[in-house]
Amino acid sequence: MKKIMIDPVTRLEGHGKIAIFLNNDGGVANVYFQVPELRGFEKFSEGRPAEDMPQITQRICGVCPEAHHMASTKALDDLFHVEPTSTARKLRELFYSSFYVTDHTTHFYILAAPDFVMGPDAPPAERNILGVIAKVGLELGGAVIKTRHENHWVIQTIGGRPIHPCFGLPGGVSKAINEEERVKIGEIAKQSVEFGKLSLKVFDDVVLKNKDYLDMVLSDTFTHRTYSMGMVDENNKVNFYDGKVRVVDPEGKEFIKYAPQDYVKHLAEHVEPWTYLKFPYLKKIGWKGFVDGKDSGVYRATPLSRLNAADGMATPLAQEEYEKMYSTLGGKPAHYTLATHWARLVELLYAAERMVELVQDPEITSTDIRNIPTATPDEGVGIVEAPRGTLTHHYITDERGIIKKCNLIVGTTNNYAAFYMSVKKAAEDLIKPGKEITEGLLNRIEMAWRPYDLCLACATHSLPGQLPLEVTIYDAQGNELKKLSQGI
Amino acid sequence: MKTLVLGLGNPILSDDGAGIRIAQEVGKQLNDPQITVSETSAAGLSLLDSIVGYDKVIIIDAIQTKKGQAGQIYRMKSEDFSFAKHFSSPHQTNLVTALELGKMLHLVMPQKITIFAVEAKDIASFSEKCTPEVERAIPEAVKMVIEELVG
Repeated sequence: MKKIMIDPVTRLEGHGKIAIFLNNDGGVANVYFQVPELRGFEKFSEGRPAEDMPQITQRICGVCPEAHHMASTKALDDLFHVEPTSTARKLRELFYSSFYVTDHTTHFYILAAPDFVMGPDAPPAERNILGVIAKVGLELGGAVIKTRHENHWVIQTIGGRPIHPCFGLPGGVSKAINEEERVKIGEIAKQSVEFGKLSLKVFDDVVLKNKDYLDMVLSDTFTHRTYSMGMVDENNKVNFYDGKVRVVDPEGKEFIKYAPQDYVKHLAEHVEPWTYLKFPYLKKIGWKGFVDGKDSGVYRATPLSRLNAADGMATPLAQEEYEKMYSTLGGKPAHYTLATHWARLVELLYAAERMVELVQDPEITSTDIRNIPTATPDEGVGIVEAPRGTLTHHYITDERGIIKKCNLIVGTTNNYAAFYMSVKKAAEDLIKPGKEITEGLLNRIEMAWRPYDLCLACATHSLPGQLPLEVTIYDAQGNELKKLSQGI
Repeated sequence: MKTLVLGLGNPILSDDGAGIRIAQEVGKQLNDPQITVSETSAAGLSLLDSIVGYDKVIIIDAIQTKKGQAGQIYRMKSEDFSFAKHFSSPHQTNLVTALELGKMLHLVMPQKITIFAVEAKDIASFSEKCTPEVERAIPEAVKMVIEELVG
């Protein structure tokens, strides 16, 4: 056996690169952002039966396969012109709410909490989940693991498989749940509500009661006044599974509200010469560059944007937290990027409360779980709110249901422009002539993008299993001054 | 000894699916109630969920290294990845951190974790097939995993 050295600086192919160029004075001249391009999904899809898409598309993202499965299943409903039964809709939403609990839990405790619990200047070796648990307590760590584990059981029980569900079918779902499962899911849902409340208390204790952190959350460095996008129900309350997509302007006034099928009328994509990324923007406003404001077509689709775009939460405890959040932030809409972490926890509580509501619904154990499609398929669009933004699946097929064309707007991509603006602004505000570029300063720049939790080429899983991202700072002559690497 | 063989990767992203392909082949050749063969596209904390409760775990994955040749097979212990904890940002949980977390929380963690990794050539193109170089390495990798299980 050959002994090998695993060189960690080897995974340079296919990772995200942020390049910050300084001017002669040592201030920021420009910022560029590149990510790897995964090639050929559309071609890969063409010629396949549409009903395979909920299985295939969930492999695109290693973080939220459940979201793709759900958007794809809804696109099939539309494609085959069939409505799911009432029970099927509720099972899908119950499943999806449970997924939200796990995903938001992971994001907050793995990504967000270390910056605040350990502090932005803590050494990277401590600024992680292990440090958080060491500081906050094993009990909380156990609760994080338990909540995730139990909700994975819910996802598996309803979805048919762990991680990669297989229950979504046009017109419904493939299996019902029995009374025993319902009771157990009900217990998990109630515990998840308690966990949601606990998480908001952690946020309150650690962030809100620390004046420095609150000042940072409210600072201009981490603020962008953009349009906000999110899905709402018939009462304009946040809904992850179904409804219309609502966009409000930077003052909070409704700008558009569209049914999934109309997405092409409202969104367009801008291309820059320095990156493969395409930057979605609001078509009616147009692309005016990477700028804030009502005249710019840049929008955000994050947990905070969803709360901005809605009139409130549909469950009581989440509504209370919603009101508290906007009261603290000085009104609605809020444009403080770091408050996205807070909004995420409000959503976590909502998802858990929604689980409780759904599992208590008398229809939830019904076996009327599918309407068989009879119409000829042609074209279908399905939208859900993925944790990282509004997720759109659009398929066009022949009369046999074979895919001819497929277009996806993945949640993350909605936020590309805002992400770039956030990194640029933080870099410009924090890197100043004569000021030493420290690890803590770089981490604060990183904090500007962390709330978006972009899935950059997250479909790959090669070792070491981390999302690779690298920030390099160059001087005016193009010499490398400093490099911050993540997962490389 | 309760053993898990876990293929890791993405089956529709060319060589990224090598680990899953190898695990599937291993599964076809085994008939031992003590050995579970499974596959996942998850990483980090979800990986922790998958391995808790087993005595012995074999993880099979794709890898990209600086000078590696496509199809090269590596056998590693989880300690070999300890660099990742120090080198990376704290903000994504890697295998080592997930294992440490499990120990910290007193979960029933495997006594032995072995990782087999195949050097990938293409992990950015959507395809259900591996590249020819990786495809050729699969039988050898299957043999190595089975030897590890038997020996």
